[in-house]
Amino acid sequence: MSFLRLLARNRLALAGLIVMVCVVVLALITPLLPLADPNVTSTGDRFQRPFSEGALLGTDHLGRDLLSRLLHGARLSLAVGFAAAVIAATLGAAVGIIAGFYGGRTDNIIMRGVDMLMAFPYILLALAIVAALGPGLLNALIAVAAVNIPFFARNIRGVTVGIAHKEFVDAARLSGMGDLRIIITEVLPNVIPVIVIAMSTTVGWMILETAGLSFLGLGSQPPVADLGSMLGEARSALITNPHTSIVPGAMILIIVMAINLLGDGVRDALDPRLKSGALNRPMPTTLVDRQGPVPQPQAGGALLSIEGLKTEFHVKNRHYKAVGGVTLSVRSGECLGIIGESGSGKSVTALSVMGLVASPPGVITGGAVHFEGQELVGAPYAQLRRLRGDRVAYIFQDPLATLHPLYTVGDQLIEAVQSHHATAKAEARAHAIDLLKSVRIPNAEKRIDSYPHEMSGGMRQRVGIAMALANDPDVIIADEPTTALDVTVQAQILSLLDDLRRDRGLAIVFITHDFGVVAQLCDRVAVMYAGRIVEEGPTDAILNAPSHPYTSRLMACVPELGGGRRELAAIPGMPPVVDRLPDGCAFADRCHKVRKACRRGEIDLVDNGPDRTVRCIDPEPVREAAQ
Amino acid sequence: MAGYILKRLVSAIPVLLGISIIVFLIMAMIPGDPATAILGSYATPENVEKLNRDLGLDKPLVQRYFIWLGNMLQGDFGRSFSLNRPVIDEVLERFNGTLILAGTSFVICSFLGVAAGVVSAARQYGLADKLITFVVLLGISIPSFFLGMMMILIFAVNLQWFPVSGMWPIYGDRDIAALISHLTLPALALATVATGVIARLSRSAMLEVLRQDFIRTARAKGVHERGVIWRHALRAAMVSIIPVLGIQAGFVLSGAVYIEIVFQWPGVGRMLVDAILTRDILLVQGGVVFVAACYVMFNIAVDVAQSLLDPRIKT
Repeated sequence: MSFLRLLARNRLALAGLIVMVCVVVLALITPLLPLADPNVTSTGDRFQRPFSEGALLGTDHLGRDLLSRLLHGARLSLAVGFAAAVIAATLGAAVGIIAGFYGGRTDNIIMRGVDMLMAFPYILLALAIVAALGPGLLNALIAVAAVNIPFFARNIRGVTVGIAHKEFVDAARLSGMGDLRIIITEVLPNVIPVIVIAMSTTVGWMILETAGLSFLGLGSQPPVADLGSMLGEARSALITNPHTSIVPGAMILIIVMAINLLGDGVRDALDPRLKSGALNRPMPTTLVDRQGPVPQPQAGGALLSIEGLKTEFHVKNRHYKAVGGVTLSVRSGECLGIIGESGSGKSVTALSVMGLVASPPGVITGGAVHFEGQELVGAPYAQLRRLRGDRVAYIFQDPLATLHPLYTVGDQLIEAVQSHHATAKAEARAHAIDLLKSVRIPNAEKRIDSYPHEMSGGMRQRVGIAMALANDPDVIIADEPTTALDVTVQAQILSLLDDLRRDRGLAIVFITHDFGVVAQLCDRVAVMYAGRIVEEGPTDAILNAPSHPYTSRLMACVPELGGGRRELAAIPGMPPVVDRLPDGCAFADRCHKVRKACRRGEIDLVDNGPDRTVRCIDPEPVREAAQ
Repeated sequence: MAGYILKRLVSAIPVLLGISIIVFLIMAMIPGDPATAILGSYATPENVEKLNRDLGLDKPLVQRYFIWLGNMLQGDFGRSFSLNRPVIDEVLERFNGTLILAGTSFVICSFLGVAAGVVSAARQYGLADKLITFVVLLGISIPSFFLGMMMILIFAVNLQWFPVSGMWPIYGDRDIAALISHLTLPALALATVATGVIARLSRSAMLEVLRQDFIRTARAKGVHERGVIWRHALRAAMVSIIPVLGIQAGFVLSGAVYIEIVFQWPGVGRMLVDAILTRDILLVQGGVVFVAACYVMFNIAVDVAQSLLDPRIKT
């Protein structure tokens, strides 16, 4: 029933449904209505205007009552259209099920035939069939149905192939059922919804097609008229008496439009992506709906600082608090690591900086981001665009998805340069080659003309880094850039980033879930859990002596080389769902030293030794320079 | 590239043979024999039998197919009895008219449809999107023949901006200006439905692409939003739009039949309808096979365009 409710929520589809019901009811009761005989001619009353005495819609070229003819015509058109849809769906489904169920050679031969039929512009086939059978409404119906069989056959075959290999079909076969019985009892019930949907989206089309053939004089023959032949007959009087054309034409338009609205509604109601809002297009910048005051930049000369950042995902009535008040900063030449499990909000934090969180559904609801004193949250698009890639650049995970598949890496590098600096193409290309060399891509002069799919994962990741370096930025935000790579390539890329930081004085924000990477590259590290920072401080200090229970449990999950006998302690439980965060510590449910106080009220991030903070009321003792 | 084109051309051969077999079989289903149709119901049995023999209709079906196919391959599609001229001459002459009409329409609906879809997606849920969505709905619901009639009524009869019908003026020069003024209304009427369908599919293709990671990359690079939409997103969306254009070309070709009737356009569609009504079977057969073959060739061109656009397709 949720399907009907969804359909009802779509106002246009509902309008279509109402119109359709009215038309169908009118068509059904037409013979009972006190109407003039649609086929009685009265040459004296030719071409009466609409709203004239005794003829609400006027009369046609033979003096026949247009209203009566219209309703009878609509009745006929609907009947023929539905009949054609049912015939095409039944035969097409039969062909499709046979092809899909038996597969192999049968499938091959049938689908070849279907492809042949689909190679025709549909009307040629319909005309050929009508030519062979002779004009007439029944023949037009056969032609339209026949032309649409391939469409159904192909759709249903696809669905059947999926079902034919399911376990319940195998079970039926093992229990000794015959093929026919399996098809009728096991396959058909699963295919019928698809057939019905395909029918509901094509029935308008079928009505249009049969009306078209009638319009050409190849369908219904006088004196009986469907809407198409009414229009066809009226055509000769189009200029002198347009109402005889407009009446049936408008009726076809109304019927087809109602069916299209309804069909769209059905399709949308059944598409799960529409419900979740996954078909929304992300806007150029993240939406900002900031509640509360705008925090001032922190003192201390940070190049990039994030203060109390809150980013949420608004899906329907639910608010997922992906980032719940994060404060971080990074200086020139410094590397800050952000570490946490998947879904802890580290990527969303990073993307919020330049307004790159997809929105809808993303909304920045609080906090500020300052770059060289400029406030970036809520900054105009033009200002953000100027900074993106020029001063603050990103390196993303999975460069196969993050590089444009249809442009060469050279074109993409050149574009990165030219988006910010008016550079001649040749100059930009030379610069692009230099960039590729600087990330140690061998044979850069040749590789520049490669497409992303022609490169290995490591090479693509280097291209991603080269692109981030294109305009010599001040900050690079690297979102798990080495996760998809094998260890040797990962080590190369980390040392590359480290060199760049030392040579160019880059500030790097490095997001990862890998402590090894943090140890190798980062000066400071922030540990995130459920959208908040739970611990922050110098890398050595934290890795040697984690204070927050989460940090220590997380580190205990890391296998050690040669440490084969140590037990790997996976953290029990799951991270909380961020639309209903528990009161108090979000980690409480998974923590081994949880107390009552942990679940009461806000727990603040407090100082915990030199340059360190922790969000815990019972932190592990800090052992200075342990080990 | 040349190898790929050749490969596609070779793979079209079975399709073309299949088309000829289907058309031949449909025509062979015709009840009664063509000789009676040609000579009329008062013809003597002797004359009918003689004509059947002359036409080769006494031979077995398979043999008849190969004779017909052989003749077609030599450019002989038979002789139209109603026009009393070779089928191929009539088809070629009429196809020229259809090509001008359908070709223009195809260009219009491709550009207009894709542009409308892109704007609609870029402004999702905005005013432009709602307006375009509504016009598109109207466009795909209105029968093209009714739209054509209304256009004649408004723009040719009442406003007198364009001629009512035909391809050329009856008096006066057959120059390009005359052709354009005659072409405008039918081409627009014919393009309407396809424009709507293409706009819809372009919109959803664009929405699909705009959520991809590489769009975020382009934005992170600082590419201007115009470039993100038209250079990055559209280029990627074209991969799924181009096959739709190929399919829509078939629909434009089909819709041309109605538009040619409404606007008295001398094209192959009108010829086919007239041929059906006069039961000039050879003309129908020849016309259908010829147009279907052209459509197959056009789709090969679409595939080639697709492979040029997408470097991931192995050529």
